[in-house]
Amino acid sequence: MSMASASERSPMRRALDRLVWRLLPLTPFALVLVAWVVYWAVVRPPPATLPAVQDVVVAMWELAAKGELATHVAASLWRLLLGVLLGVITGVIGGFIVGLNRPIAEFLSPLIVFFNAISGIVWLPLVIGWLGIGTALAVFLIWNTVFFIVFQNTVLGVQLVPQVYEQGVQALGGGRWETIRTVTLPGALPYILTGLRSGLGFGWRALIAAELVGATTGLGQMIFGATEYHRSDIIIGGCLLIGIIAIAMDRWLLLPIERRTIERWGLVFDARKEE
Amino acid sequence: MSATAARSALGHLPDHRTGCVAWRWLRGLKILLPFVALVAAWWAIYLSADFSPQVLVSPLAVWRAFVHLATYGVMAEYASTSLRMIGLAAVLSLLVGVPIGFAVGVNRYAAHALEGFLRFLQGISGIAWLPLAIIWFGFTHTTTLIIVIYTLIVPIIFNTMVGVRAVPETYTLALRSLGASRLRLVKDVYLPGALPSIVVGLRLGMGYGWRALIAAEMLVRKGGLGDLIFGARTFGQIDRIITGMIAIGCLYVVVDRLIVQPIENLTVARWGVLRQ
Amino acid sequence: MSDNQPARRRLPRLSLPGPEVRKIIAGVMLIVLVLFGQQLYGRATAAGRLDAALRGATGPRNVIVVLDFTPDRFHNERVAEYGVFAGRDGALNRLRLRNVTPANLARLADVAWVARIEPLQ
Repeated sequence: MSMASASERSPMRRALDRLVWRLLPLTPFALVLVAWVVYWAVVRPPPATLPAVQDVVVAMWELAAKGELATHVAASLWRLLLGVLLGVITGVIGGFIVGLNRPIAEFLSPLIVFFNAISGIVWLPLVIGWLGIGTALAVFLIWNTVFFIVFQNTVLGVQLVPQVYEQGVQALGGGRWETIRTVTLPGALPYILTGLRSGLGFGWRALIAAELVGATTGLGQMIFGATEYHRSDIIIGGCLLIGIIAIAMDRWLLLPIERRTIERWGLVFDARKEE
Repeated sequence: MSATAARSALGHLPDHRTGCVAWRWLRGLKILLPFVALVAAWWAIYLSADFSPQVLVSPLAVWRAFVHLATYGVMAEYASTSLRMIGLAAVLSLLVGVPIGFAVGVNRYAAHALEGFLRFLQGISGIAWLPLAIIWFGFTHTTTLIIVIYTLIVPIIFNTMVGVRAVPETYTLALRSLGASRLRLVKDVYLPGALPSIVVGLRLGMGYGWRALIAAEMLVRKGGLGDLIFGARTFGQIDRIITGMIAIGCLYVVVDRLIVQPIENLTVARWGVLRQ
Repeated sequence: MSDNQPARRRLPRLSLPGPEVRKIIAGVMLIVLVLFGQQLYGRATAAGRLDAALRGATGPRNVIVVLDFTPDRFHNERVAEYGVFAGRDGALNRLRLRNVTPANLARLADVAWVARIEPLQ
């Protein structure tokens, strides 16, 4: 039924459909914006409770002009980078060591489940005594969050590589390292990347939580500090910025990496399956 | 070949043995042994160097702190506060989130429109909204509840949408051609079809929500395990902090593995035919 | 596509309480224990706490709440909810409470970590 009408649709109609499809995700944002403006115009709440849209924009602009915003964003991103890097490196290495060794994997599994349950901000009261307030604390909490996610995904990926392929390489004379490099690593890569993507999202959220409580700079601290002065405009602006950075990281950093590597290795595996 | 390799790689015991009592005890031991080893390693580290009680305490001190807190009512009250909060948040999130997910999920365009917005909201974690919630509602339980509901409801709505969208149109068309009412359609096709996905969303949400709860309790300081461990920090009571951390971990594992995951497994087994 | 899918979960046997249902029962019992265990224990042992002179009280009374440990601020706060806190009675673990209504007296007796409730002369 719909097939016939699709071929009958003019190219312009199809282009319009595509445009509408592209713009649809913006509608909830537009609706919220409209609701905000209308509510503010009708109810006129005190600025501490709900600032006007323009107040938020102005506040963020001021912070940006003073250079403060850049400082906070840079501090947060720097901590995120350190934490994620440490988390991914330790997670992948640990994941490989454990994943390739089934008795150890079984032994450690309950511990991993437990520590995953308390990963992140739960460590804050303990670690703040060791590392004080600041970057070290934030990096530890991010490392903690990212490590367990990447570790678990790596272990899963390594374990799920079909043994046939590993045995194949070994039968052809490949050593341990070669097997890992040519079979296990590409095979586990999709899972590792999923873990990385998850970990980045979790890590960013954990960072903001950590900065709310124990930092002197950074976006989380900027938001929490503004509470004292009832600067809701800074808080709302900061929250929106946090969300924008989260989406930007996921969309423009990770999705392309994932697409390029999984496409590459995924194709390899599909071909092998058909054999 | 790959299926059995995968299962053996993940360490599943063969099914015919799971009923036998001896195997159940052995499995229990397998779970406890790593923790015994961990405590032993902890004790060894503690004894090896001269740690100030501000940095590390012995497992014995932690045990004594736990006994103290448990006997004298502190642990029960703080743990109960947290449990009630997550339970209430879960119920409310389901009551509000599932209908929203249904209403949006049935329409392709509405689902596509809402997806990006939900992802954006999830990027701004519930905790980031905590300062605003504190300004609006003060340092109260309401604030904590709202933040936890926010954190829980987004994955629930998302997964409900996904679940509803996954129901093949042929099923609904078939029933409608036989004269089924809208309500019947929801009850007999959409709800069972989407249920596995909804429960997965609940499980994800509980994971995020428990974390958000602890963080919120640390800031709002009106009870709950987050308040317990953060308050103990003020007095440098490392033994209580560690006790609290262990309690937080254990409670989450109990709720997740003994309640939510079995529900998920049962739902998938019963209605999971549509899962690809 | 169908046969090579790894690890489709086996349908749990739903006739007797299967392993999943057993887990849920165990989990719920543990949670109930955490939520209500101490309260129930307190109520079960309430009889031993209230001093003979205070049983069957008809009006507000002044009491000493005796604990067998050194209370934290937590305990002081909780006890103070049942009456007017009037300081200590000699030791840190003896708390004076005035104007405790009979209803609150009963509730105090239900608290598991209170050792005794004595009348205040």
